[in-house]
Amino acid sequence: MLTEIAITDRFTITLAAVVYLIAFLYGLTSIGLKKPYSRSLVFALIVVGFILQTIGLNQRGAEIKACPLGNLFEIGQFMAWSLVVLYFIVGPIFQLRTIGIFAAGLAALLSGGTLLVPSWDTPYPPGIFGGNHWIELHAALAIFSYGVFAIVALVSAMYLIQQYGLKKKQFKGIYQYLPSVQQLDTIAYRLLLTGTIVLSASLAFGSFFWIENLNSVPLVKLSMTCLVWAGYLSVVALRTQRRFATKRQAIISILLFLLALASLGPVDAARATTSAQKPAATDQGDIAP
Amino acid sequence: MSEQLQSLFVLGSTHHEAPLELRERFALNATEVKNLQSQLHKLPGIEECLVINTCNRLEVYGLAKSPDIEDTVRNLLCSRNGIDRKVFDSHSFWRTNLDVLQHALEVSAGLDSQMVGETEILRQMKQAYESARREQCTGTILNRLFEKSFQAAKSARTQTGITRGQVSIGNVAVDLASRIFGKIASSRVLLIGSGEVAEKTAQALKSRGVADITVTSRTFEKAHRIAHELQGAAIEFSDFRAQLHRYDIIISSTSAPNFILEKEAITAACRARPRQPYFLIDLALPRDIDPAVDELDSVYLYNLDDLSKIANENLELRRAEIERARSILKGHAWNLWLQLHRRTLKPN
Repeated sequence: MLTEIAITDRFTITLAAVVYLIAFLYGLTSIGLKKPYSRSLVFALIVVGFILQTIGLNQRGAEIKACPLGNLFEIGQFMAWSLVVLYFIVGPIFQLRTIGIFAAGLAALLSGGTLLVPSWDTPYPPGIFGGNHWIELHAALAIFSYGVFAIVALVSAMYLIQQYGLKKKQFKGIYQYLPSVQQLDTIAYRLLLTGTIVLSASLAFGSFFWIENLNSVPLVKLSMTCLVWAGYLSVVALRTQRRFATKRQAIISILLFLLALASLGPVDAARATTSAQKPAATDQGDIAP
Repeated sequence: MSEQLQSLFVLGSTHHEAPLELRERFALNATEVKNLQSQLHKLPGIEECLVINTCNRLEVYGLAKSPDIEDTVRNLLCSRNGIDRKVFDSHSFWRTNLDVLQHALEVSAGLDSQMVGETEILRQMKQAYESARREQCTGTILNRLFEKSFQAAKSARTQTGITRGQVSIGNVAVDLASRIFGKIASSRVLLIGSGEVAEKTAQALKSRGVADITVTSRTFEKAHRIAHELQGAAIEFSDFRAQLHRYDIIISSTSAPNFILEKEAITAACRARPRQPYFLIDLALPRDIDPAVDELDSVYLYNLDDLSKIANENLELRRAEIERARSILKGHAWNLWLQLHRRTLKPN
């Protein structure tokens, strides 16, 4: 039963990744050929991809009766899904040109990347959160904040590209489609602040459980998560105190996101080890990150 | 008499041969142009002469008694400006006879301009010609050459599409400002100096919604006049440095021989407005803004060469029209060459 559903939800998610990839390649090719691209078409493709991904994740969630965050595949999918949700909010509000193409590209990478490694989609018994909704909220918020940080990394990359073009006196090509450096800087900061608040809230919820069950959270998971959180918190603090140059903030935001992504592997491995040592019924809080 | 035409020459250094850093060393002010012209005319071997000096070119047109005048003219030009002769030689050109006619016609039609097809050069050439004629430095040959080149320029422009699709420096500046600030309507502009291109650039920004424009110039009356035209404000030249942090876009076009905005001044202004970018447009020659300011992260400095290069990016689309104009001018140059021959052979 689980295998049948897994095939079905993986198929829907695969379709979503393909649609994201089409949106990205269409936008990129148009820019490469110096042809104007249809923003509506990119948006429509992302909507289709999002619907397919939501169906896939919903199928997976219905099966495990919880938010699908039990293995690296699901974490990657949920992160891509969060990224697209944020694109739907950020894109129209800030009217950021080309962010759709970049968002589609990253969503395709996250979604497609996790699909390409079957070992990341290891089966696990239902009830991973042990019926504790606070833990489920902690996990969902943590991964959602990673989605926000993914958008921050995207906006930062767009900033660096635009800044490079302006500094090197490049006029045509992708530069003319990108938003202004000032817009990108402002949005990156607001999103960084949002992501840090969401991650802090997630850690706050998680800490209530952790204080009561000190041995239940692997040290690797704890230290990696705190490292990522402290990194983002430092960037926000330095930026608020105006002690951070815009370019440096953009580079560090990208590096921190890569660190956050890289930390998922060790965190998941630590979770799996801890799960194996304990009976499933008491496996509360073994979630990533 | 036709021997005269054998020594028609042009010595020049333009944006084709010399980068901005060298052109600003070769550049002359109005008085220096007048003095050079007069000195050239006094040379025993020179019968007629005319000096054209713009942001993109320094050219000496002349009619010499013998074809061996090149060294003399080069030496005079270098000695006046304290330029190393080897440097000047490697960044300049020397043309004679029919090539001079073809070159003058192409320059006046804007084909040789940094922004191909621009019309500003025709006005500058007319000014240079009027000045040389007033000083009686020109005679039959150069008068004919320049008057004919102005007519040929007009004909090349009307018969071809060399000016079609041309992008002005003002439009490039507006597009760059949008890439830096997004919506530019709330940007504050400071215009330093009273150069025509700078004024047009400010005008282009204004037409795109920029409302806050301030003008400063060494002559306050001039600043006041431009500010009135742009519906902006004028400030004293001595005050503008203290207020740099108030502006987002600074356009500078003065005739100052040295930098008027050094890195230290811009660094201090950046500190007063952290995280807000600066767009600096240096339209002066010699340059007004220290190029070292471009090292600052949030500062985007563009000079004449940068903006012209961008404005010319659609040049490929006009390539056929440019070739057509060149061929029309070739015909004019050849006719002029024959006319000058006939004229010089006629008995007085």
